[in-house]
Amino acid sequence: MQVVSLRSDAHAESEPLSGRKPASAMIEIDHVSQRFQTSGKQSHLALSDINLTIDDGAFVSILGPSGCGKSTLLYIVGGFVQPTDGVAKVKGKAITGPGPDRGPVFQEFALFPWKNVLGNVMYGLRQQGVKKAEAEARGRKLLEMVGLKGYENFYPKELSGGMKQRVAIARTLAYDPAVLLMDEPFGALDAHTRTRLQNDLLDIWDRQRKTVLFVTHSVEEAVYLSDKVIVMSRSPGSIKEIVDIDLPRPRKRADLLLDARFQKYIVDIEKMIDDGKDHL
Amino acid sequence: MTARGVLKTLSPLFACIGLLCVWQIASLRLDTESFPTALEAIKAIPSILGDKGSLLNILDSIRRMAIGLVLAVMFSIPLGLLMGRIKAVAAFFNPLMMIIYPVPKAALMPIIMLWMGVGDVSKILVIFLGVSLPIIYHAFQGSKAVEEKMLWSGAAMGMSAPMRMLRIVLPAALPEILTGCRTGLVLALITMITSEMIARQSGAGNILFNSLDMAQYDTVFAMILIIGAMGIVFDAAFEKLRLSLVRWSQPRDDMPLSFT
Amino acid sequence: MTQTRINSVLLGITPIVLFLALWQSLISFGFAPTSLLPPPGAVFGKLAKDFFTGDFLHDIAATLIRLFAGFGIAVVVGVFIGLAAAVSPAVNAVVKPLVRVLAPIPKIALYPALLLILGFDHASKITLVTADALFPILLSTYYGASMVEQKLIWSAMAAGTPRWQILFKVVLPAAMPSILTGCRIGLVISCIVVFLAEMITSTDGLGHMLVQAARTFQTVDMFVPLIMISMLGLILNSLLHWLRSYLLRGFPEV
Repeated sequence: MQVVSLRSDAHAESEPLSGRKPASAMIEIDHVSQRFQTSGKQSHLALSDINLTIDDGAFVSILGPSGCGKSTLLYIVGGFVQPTDGVAKVKGKAITGPGPDRGPVFQEFALFPWKNVLGNVMYGLRQQGVKKAEAEARGRKLLEMVGLKGYENFYPKELSGGMKQRVAIARTLAYDPAVLLMDEPFGALDAHTRTRLQNDLLDIWDRQRKTVLFVTHSVEEAVYLSDKVIVMSRSPGSIKEIVDIDLPRPRKRADLLLDARFQKYIVDIEKMIDDGKDHL
Repeated sequence: MTARGVLKTLSPLFACIGLLCVWQIASLRLDTESFPTALEAIKAIPSILGDKGSLLNILDSIRRMAIGLVLAVMFSIPLGLLMGRIKAVAAFFNPLMMIIYPVPKAALMPIIMLWMGVGDVSKILVIFLGVSLPIIYHAFQGSKAVEEKMLWSGAAMGMSAPMRMLRIVLPAALPEILTGCRTGLVLALITMITSEMIARQSGAGNILFNSLDMAQYDTVFAMILIIGAMGIVFDAAFEKLRLSLVRWSQPRDDMPLSFT
Repeated sequence: MTQTRINSVLLGITPIVLFLALWQSLISFGFAPTSLLPPPGAVFGKLAKDFFTGDFLHDIAATLIRLFAGFGIAVVVGVFIGLAAAVSPAVNAVVKPLVRVLAPIPKIALYPALLLILGFDHASKITLVTADALFPILLSTYYGASMVEQKLIWSAMAAGTPRWQILFKVVLPAAMPSILTGCRIGLVISCIVVFLAEMITSTDGLGHMLVQAARTFQTVDMFVPLIMISMLGLILNSLLHWLRSYLLRGFPEV
């Protein structure tokens, strides 16, 4: 199992972050706050002073009630949203905008409807300047990997939700980002499809060992997939607790469901979320 | 209201002033007799509206336009609603509408005048024809989009089919219907002006072309300003009415989408 | 073709057949004299006979040139301004009030002014067509472009698309369904407006044909251009429909 170190300290002292930073930090979030202007002069503190370090190759889930700012945190790492305060860094460099080193996968799939499946997967490669023939070959290989061989010329509208999300994952993996940013990727899928995609995602991760930041509101999903689970609370959005998931990999769903440790993690984390009473 | 809000409400006014300024400068630069300046055109407005004959002419045009529009609304909304709910009705009327759609209704003026004379009936009929199609179309779209489950719950409550039409489909389709009516209003004005331009008997469109023939260029441009102002005022007034009728519906934006 | 499809086609033909039958019977039973209402057979016969004469083709060509020129300019200008207003707040602040003021003005009223400024030739008619077709295209482009899903843009940016390319690689294709809807409305309006402008003042074109026939009380000749413009509208509309279903083959619900 990959050893990850993670640091969250709401009351960070003046000691510089780099002092304790492990050599292989992939993402550093340093005193990040996010304030949204609501109607009139009111504003809403979506994230309050978040500090977090995520190591290279770690699978980290962010869990919390809706409105706790977990997606916002992901968007800040993606460079889609600029934080009001603080700095987010990837590989030691401050994030100023989106880049191909961080690939997003959204709950809404966000596939280009005017491109067919292969065209969607090739998009990022072409954008990186890969020649058309090579992009096509790599696109086909990726589609085979996510189990969609034979669907190259289909349009997204002709696919089921699960297949759309497989295309979206392939499209993002195509430009080989160092970090996968997954924003409730399986939230819109039915339970059966969801389980299959979780298993396939774990398979891919076991082979590629990319850093994954995974936002979800399913405790079971978070425990099943992750090395670390970050539990957030809301108003203002802040990190409540960080739980190391010490379960062996590769993980088998059938084994885990019977595993008392797995069950205990779920019960403990659900308690943490309930304790805050901010699920109301 | 904040300064920003004031600026936003007044922005169409600024746009008008800006356009008039562009006109003024363009006219001064071109300096031909047939293109008077904005100021000259504005100065000519009171003499048109002050003239009893012209004023009555214009008011008469508006009266015919209102009658044509009201008749079209009363005819088109029930038809559109029926087309949206009953497939056979839609299949019956759709191809006919497709054929009639690209025919310029004002162009029927010479033929209708041949049949019915130059009186009010012809003019009102042309306006009625010009306005009906978009209103039917919007009522059709609105009623087609009504959620089937709303009708099911209506039926479960024991509502009869005509009752469901009146109490569920009509209000649910109202935002779309009103969009159609707004287009219809602008179209009524357009059809009125155009048919008067073609018939050359009376009305605002006739004044416009008569003054063109008589080389009274100030009057031409003043008349354009009057007709333009009518369009803007009617549209703005209807938008006010629409907002008060469908406050529950999310407005898309505040730009008018005429013709849709 | 399924049975329901056949049924709906039959249903759709019914009112057209009924309309023609009513037209014919009005004459056959003596309700309308042929000098006021020529029989449909005479009208379509005249249309078929005229169609291959040089004059008729010249009139159609004149109408089509004005229509395409005016509509084409409206598409280019409307899409350009609509996109600009959707992506740039500064452009939006200028365009929005201008559109609010200009869209509800009956553009046909500007025609005398256009005649005085641009003359009685093609230019004034083309400008009028553009002025009328512009707003539906501009507005639907604007709405389409401002409703592009944010996450589509984010996905493209993360894949390494530079900001200035987003407009052409994401916003424009994503707004395409809405743009084409606007174009369809603009096209029908173009048909109508070019005909009306030719009726008001022109020396050629289908509208001029109608006015010419009305002046000499040739009722058959009055119906021919009307049927022709309706057919032109139908043909152009189905061409656009075909283009639309090709361009939007990936989009749901087309």
